[in-house]
Amino acid sequence: MRGGGAGAGLSERLRGAGGLTVEERWAVALLDPEAPTPPDLTSWNGSDPGQRFAVYRNNVVVSLVESLAQTFPVTCELVGEEFFRAMGREFVRARPPRSTLLARYGEGFAEFVDGFPPAASVPYLADMARLEMHCLAALHAADADPAAPQVLEAALREPECLPALRLRLHPSLRCLRSEFAVFSLWDAHRGELEISQVNPLAAECGWILRSGLEVRLLPMCAGDCDFVEALARGNSFGEAAEAAAGDREFDLGRCLATLLRWGMVTSVNGIK
Amino acid sequence: MVASGETGLPVAAGVGLKPEHFEQVIGKAPALGFVEIHAENYLVAGGPMHHYLERVCARYPLSVHGVGLSIGGEEPLDRGHLQALRGLLDRYQPAVFSEHLAWSSHGGIFFNDLLPLPYTRRTLERLCEHIEQVQDALGRRILLENPSTYVEFSGSSYSEAEFIGELVKRSGCGLLLDVNNAYISCINHGRDLDEFIAALPLHAVGEIHLAGFHRDRDSLGAPLLIDSHGSAVDRAVWQAYESVLERTGPLSTLIEWDNDIPPFETLCAEAARAQGYLSACAVREA
Amino acid sequence: MNRKVTPAALALAFSTAVTLAASPALAAGDKDKGDKEKCYGVALAGKNDCKAGPGTTCSGSSNRDYQGNAWKYVPKGTCKEIPSPTSPTGKGQLQPFQEKG
Repeated sequence: MRGGGAGAGLSERLRGAGGLTVEERWAVALLDPEAPTPPDLTSWNGSDPGQRFAVYRNNVVVSLVESLAQTFPVTCELVGEEFFRAMGREFVRARPPRSTLLARYGEGFAEFVDGFPPAASVPYLADMARLEMHCLAALHAADADPAAPQVLEAALREPECLPALRLRLHPSLRCLRSEFAVFSLWDAHRGELEISQVNPLAAECGWILRSGLEVRLLPMCAGDCDFVEALARGNSFGEAAEAAAGDREFDLGRCLATLLRWGMVTSVNGIK
Repeated sequence: MVASGETGLPVAAGVGLKPEHFEQVIGKAPALGFVEIHAENYLVAGGPMHHYLERVCARYPLSVHGVGLSIGGEEPLDRGHLQALRGLLDRYQPAVFSEHLAWSSHGGIFFNDLLPLPYTRRTLERLCEHIEQVQDALGRRILLENPSTYVEFSGSSYSEAEFIGELVKRSGCGLLLDVNNAYISCINHGRDLDEFIAALPLHAVGEIHLAGFHRDRDSLGAPLLIDSHGSAVDRAVWQAYESVLERTGPLSTLIEWDNDIPPFETLCAEAARAQGYLSACAVREA
Repeated sequence: MNRKVTPAALALAFSTAVTLAASPALAAGDKDKGDKEKCYGVALAGKNDCKAGPGTTCSGSSNRDYQGNAWKYVPKGTCKEIPSPTSPTGKGQLQPFQEKG
């Protein structure tokens, strides 16, 4: 475990006359096109090292914007490639990745879009980014087998245990509530709906989940989200049903059936 | 000349495994010596990445290539990342783990690019320390890949080949010889490719990489090659590969194609071409 | 807002769900989904790579686009086909961004 202690000393020793290490200078210049090219770079033929350094600057920003474009394809289609990539560059410079895993890059993008004035004329854009970030998280979430039918049948034979039953849900399942019709807009971009028939100002909520290898988006009612969120907090079946009962549209039987159909109930505990 | 015997990877041609080709690799089961993955793409909890990799691994030997360890970085290694890599290697038991002679993270930011290092004694000491930590944490010897670079540092006190030679000698790691990188760096820095190759510790080469590059120009109009991995292997790189094999004997060889990913058949055809060079080389040796 | 849900109601719902889940007709019970099996695959891509972007003259090395006072890009995607009840034109309201002042 000598990395930590040695590293701090090393970093001190690496500081040159200007007080910055090579990497500190590069780190600034890679993300800020107005920062000067790091010093002490040369080329064999006397060509401009700044132009050569720009290859790295380009790689960093373009590859990260490309990663965003892959993660947020519908967000990109909504505003067009040119706008999306320009916005992506701003995001990359403001919020570069903190993790080496690009499968996670894009957390905070929706909040950035929310606070990005040029995108204000597309009010549902940030929620579409939220939806697509959920898709990415669902895609790579841990695997879990659905609970065996016998377990559910056993629970039915002990109805007095039902209120206190603990249902564990699949790690990929998540909820989104939006003031906008983001699930329908998403469908429209998949050719499932006519885009001109979607009223974007109709609030929607729903589930995002992975069943097998596929990510699926299910528009649901608010009660379905209440129910799933309550179970995810660790509430019992009875408590979750009560949390959802405020929504008149909520149908507990159908909600649970949908969870079972997609293999989203992975364990049932509390049967005697 | 049995350098690659030490890795356990077959002395044959393999391809970089892309999600775009998962179904074909499993469905068509083409004749490939091995497949290679980028470690970081599989450091996710579950889902299709692991589903497919498990199936591919059931049929093909695996090489794991890290692109995010920042092994040349000034800062201490990311222990969490090392631990995650160890988990991946324990799960899939690849024949080889390799990383890059480069840095990619600083101050908590990951730049997603393989950035160059000044070849100084300080860099050498730091790298040796990091390689030792990586080899300890992963419980295996690693291969380190020579870089493709676009700038040089005036503060460098070693040539690239000298630096790599010292690194291999002191740390005990092996060399992943990326012939495309060697060619790119020689063109970009006005070096002689044959001299560069001859000065490398060729006895330590455990694997070869081949890929395509993109042609650009520097501010004086001289060629500046970009390591794009987006096209077929260039004729000059095939020639360099052939001359490397004459020196080293046949070695596990990977075709990398990460940009503008081609039809799977095109990728396999490139691997078959590499296999042709390997077989010819083996015949000459016999 | 919570309402008491009786154990009998829980039992009924649970039993309905288990029966429904076991029947092949369940797909039809999916809210708003009809009986059409829809598959929303997300494109799989390995995002960590050791490739370099093409060329030195690309946008990544250009100067800052967003100066805080004006921005040259306007949303031009499919949002302009989406109805916007609050817009005078009835379609997505797309304007170049102009900061006040």
